[in-house]
This record gives sequence, C-alpha cells and structure tokens, in this order.
Amino acid sequence: MIEVEHLGKTYGSTPAIRDVTFEAQPGEILGFLGPNGAGKTTTMRILSGYLPASEGTARIAGYDVHTDSMAVRQRIGYLPESPPLYPQMTVEGYLNFVAKIKGVPAGMRPQRAQIAMERCGLLDRRTTLIRKLSKGYRQRVGIAQAIIHDPPVIILDEPTVGLDPRQINEVRQLIKNLAGSHTIILSTHILPEVSMTCDRVTIINRGQVVATDTPDNLTARLAGEIAYEVEIKGDVNQAQPLLAHLAEVRQVEILSPDHLPEHHHRLRVTGHQDAGLGQAIAASLVHAGLELHELHRQQATLEDVFLNLTTTEPSAPPVPPVEVSK
Amino acid sequence: MMNAKANLNNLIFKNILAIYQRELQSYFTSPLSYVITAVFWLLGGFFLVAILLGPQGLIAAAAQADQATQMGMAPPPPFDVAYEFNKAYVGLLGSLSMFVLPMLSMGLYTDERKQGTLELLATSPIPNWAVALGKLLAVVTFYIGMVLPLMVSQSVALGAATPPLGSAGFVLSYVGLVLMAASLLALGMFVSSLTESTVLAAIMTFALILLLWLVDAVAQGLPGALGEAFSHLSLLRHFTTFTEGVFDSSSLVLFLSFIILGIFLTAQSVEALRFQRS
Repeated sequence: MIEVEHLGKTYGSTPAIRDVTFEAQPGEILGFLGPNGAGKTTTMRILSGYLPASEGTARIAGYDVHTDSMAVRQRIGYLPESPPLYPQMTVEGYLNFVAKIKGVPAGMRPQRAQIAMERCGLLDRRTTLIRKLSKGYRQRVGIAQAIIHDPPVIILDEPTVGLDPRQINEVRQLIKNLAGSHTIILSTHILPEVSMTCDRVTIINRGQVVATDTPDNLTARLAGEIAYEVEIKGDVNQAQPLLAHLAEVRQVEILSPDHLPEHHHRLRVTGHQDAGLGQAIAASLVHAGLELHELHRQQATLEDVFLNLTTTEPSAPPVPPVEVSK
Repeated sequence: MMNAKANLNNLIFKNILAIYQRELQSYFTSPLSYVITAVFWLLGGFFLVAILLGPQGLIAAAAQADQATQMGMAPPPPFDVAYEFNKAYVGLLGSLSMFVLPMLSMGLYTDERKQGTLELLATSPIPNWAVALGKLLAVVTFYIGMVLPLMVSQSVALGAATPPLGSAGFVLSYVGLVLMAASLLALGMFVSSLTESTVLAAIMTFALILLLWLVDAVAQGLPGALGEAFSHLSLLRHFTTFTEGVFDSSSLVLFLSFIILGIFLTAQSVEALRFQRS
C-alpha cells in the first residue's frame, strides 16, 4: 500500500533523509520511530505529497506521490505535526469544510462528520469554536480531519504529542480500531507507543533507516545482544561450527560480500552482550590455526537510537494532584 | 480515463466553491473586517454628503453658475451635475479603497501559513491556483458587499437629478471600481503569500499600491512614447475611463491581466514554499 524506495531529501546542502526504504502492507499499522530530528516529519511530508523528494520514489496505492499527486491526495488522510485548524470555525463546520475539499459527496458529509466525531470523541464539542478547545481536543480534531473521507491510507505525524496519558490511550485505541480497513503510518519518538499500537516498526536515525521489524523482534534484538563481524582466511566450514559451539554465541551467519580476497570469508557472530565474546572468538580462531584478518564490533546503531528515544512515558495520574505543603 | 478527468474537474470546481465559502465566512467572523467596513462606510457617507452639499460641493457650484446666468454675467461653461457627481464620488471610493484593500487581502495567506492550514490545502485534491481563485472571489465578494450600500445611497441622490444620469454609466463606473479592486486584491493576495506576518503583508501591499499610483503620476509627467507606455499600465487611468462612462476593452484586458497575474504568482509562490520549508 505504501512503498518507499531510496527516498532522499536535501535542504540546501544538509541531507534530512538518505536512502530511506520501507513499505507498509494494506491494513497494517507501521510505526515510524526515531529520536527528534531524525527525519520523521520530512518523510511524512514527502509521503503526503507536501514536500517533493530530492531522490527516490514513494508510492501510495500504486500512485507516485509526486507525479500522480492529485490521485494520491484523494487517497490519503494526513495529520501534520501541528494540526491544521481554522480557529474561527466550529468543530463541525471545520470537518464539513475538510470533507468538501477532500471530495466527499454532499449527501455523505453529515454522516462522515458524525462518524469522525464519534470515533474521536468530539460529539460534545461539535458546536464549539476550535480556538476555544484545549490542546488535546485540537489534536483529536486533527485526527478527525484525517479520517473524515475514509481514506485507504492515513498518515499521522506524532499523533499523541501534547496529550495527557488518558487521551494518549484513547488515541492509540482509536488508531488500532482504524487498522484493518486502513493502512496507517504513524511517526513517534516514544518507544512504548510503537509496541502498543504498531504491527511493524521502521526505525530511523539521522535520516537513515536502521531497522524494520515487528516490535517484539526489535525488543528481542535489543535485549542484550551484540554482533561481531569476523574476516578470516581459511576453511569457512571449519570456522563456522567452531564459533557456533562457543558458549556465548547464539548465531553465526556467513556473509558473502563482494571484493573479498581469495580464501577470505566474512562471518557475522551474534551473541549475548556479556563481556568476552570478542576475546573468545579471537582465541578460538587463532587456536584452530585460522588466520584472523579482522574482528570488529558492529556499530550498535539500533542501541544508539534507542538511547535517544523516550523509553518511558508518564503513567496516568490515578487521582487529581493533592495539595502539597512545603 | 476521460471520466476520471471529468470527475477531477468537477471536484476542482466544488473545491473552489468550498474555499470561497470558508474564506467569505472568515470575514464575517473576524472583528477586524467589521471595523474596516464601518470606517469605510463612515468615510464613504461623509464624502457623499460633502461632494454634493459641502461649501465647495457640486450643488453649490451649480447654484453659483445659475446665479451668474441670472445676473447677466458671462455664464461659466455648463456642466452636467449628475455626471460630475458620479465621476467624483466613484473616483473617491477608488482612492478610499486603496487604504482598505491591503487590509482585506493581508490575511488571505498569512493566516493559512500561521495556522499550518496551508499544509492541509496542499495535501488535499485541489491545485494551488484553485485555492487562490476561491480566495480572491471571496475577498472580492466581501468588497462588493462593502461598496453596495454606498452605491445604493448614491443612486438615491442621483435619482433626484435632472437630467438623470443613464444607469449604464452609473453601473459601468462601479464595474470599473470592482475590477480595479479585484486587480489590487489579487496583487495583495500574492504579497500575503510571501510572508507569515499579517502586518508586513498589509504594509507591503500598500507600498505596492502606492508604486502603481506613482506609475500614473510618472506617466503624466513623461513625454513621448515612454509616458504613453506607462499610462497604458496605469490601473488608475483605466479606472478613470470607466468612471467617465467609457467602456474600453483594453482596460478590461489590463484588469483581467492583473488578476490572472496575481493568481498565477500566488500559486507559484505557494508552490515554492514547499521547497524552502525546512
């Protein structure tokens, strides 16, 4: 439903994103996770057709977001970083206006507005002026405008930002309910958010995709795992079982990169993060008489990204704050 | 394929209408537009009385001319009071509008930029020019709403005139007024798409209008072909031919060119915005 290939965007000479590739299947919720400034908003804007990409392609429902912009615009609902609201309009008037410009037929508009307000919990605010709404309600109106025309693809840029914990739960529930009939891509910098709402996660850092996987797999990969890349000269069939039998090692993969000298082999060894994995690899290889040409710890990019993420979130306050005497 | 295209065209038309309605509505919910309208009506009403009945007014001048004829003095050149009144009054409304128009156009795009709603419009199935056209139609409609009551009160005064002014000339002068206003509003709309500051947009639009007014002054001062070229470009000059009851198709073409240029530049500037946004 969403296919992004080698997407790049450069502002002046600063690259915002580079070689971003991922896809989302129909009915899936894809989380776009990354620390602030990683390029999430840029990617969302390119997907929505607002920003032109410098390189690469992005396709939504088979249409290129740049060349078939109008076709794409009819098929997406988009909540930008800050909800695009007209403060002088009422909630209902605003939703009606958005329904019109998104091409909802006149007869369907009241019904669609009703459904959107119902889903976003706005029914009791339908005649309120938007400028009088609290931030949480404005965010909900923003989500309502993204779903009013029942688009196949919904793009949400930080949908839970600025909401209180109870509202966050409501919004997440709402997003989950939308999945199935809609393909949803949402960006966030909050780790627990993706594990709670998303089917799959694409992690982005400094404008590059670091990993794409299910939240469970990602968590497992992070649970104290470490990887080394080894280059040896000699019999790879001897080296592989040797390394695999080490106590600390979980998995040994044979890599086949180009441009390797003859009889050279590269292996990726994954194991537990306990100390000594590197030494153990080196010792056993040398002991077996294999030439060790290179041994390096793989850049723990995923880990770095996670360190920059918000990994906790405030829990819902059970009772209203009580006066504290100092 | 043909059908899809027709559907899209239909959608664009409906979207222009949607933009138009929302924009027009926004004038009615803004306190500022009420203040602007009130001041415009107050000044318009004052000058209506002043031009007709003031000490140097047209009625006084006509009475003097009558008196001179009765006393057997050499009669001053005769003049058509109704015609002169219409020309002077609509011309005055044109001058007043130069102060009012920047205030009407200043919020057209600055507000959209500030609220982030431009991102909504830019990701909806509606081309930039259609947004600009809808907005321009809305602000021109609001301006017509401002002028209409003054037009009615002027027509009441004109109704008492003998010989009466032909309604064609009367209507034509207002058509000219609205066309000039639409041209200036189109340019003002372009200026408002360049900045996020409403005040800056108003000041820049006003400066631009002064510049256009200057073109007229320069045209009158310059001799020869250059002066002629400038005078063809002068909005004020073409507006004056309308108030004189003369329909000149070249004036119509000039005004329409200004309007289309304004819409085109606005669409381009909104498009360019996407590239510079960081």
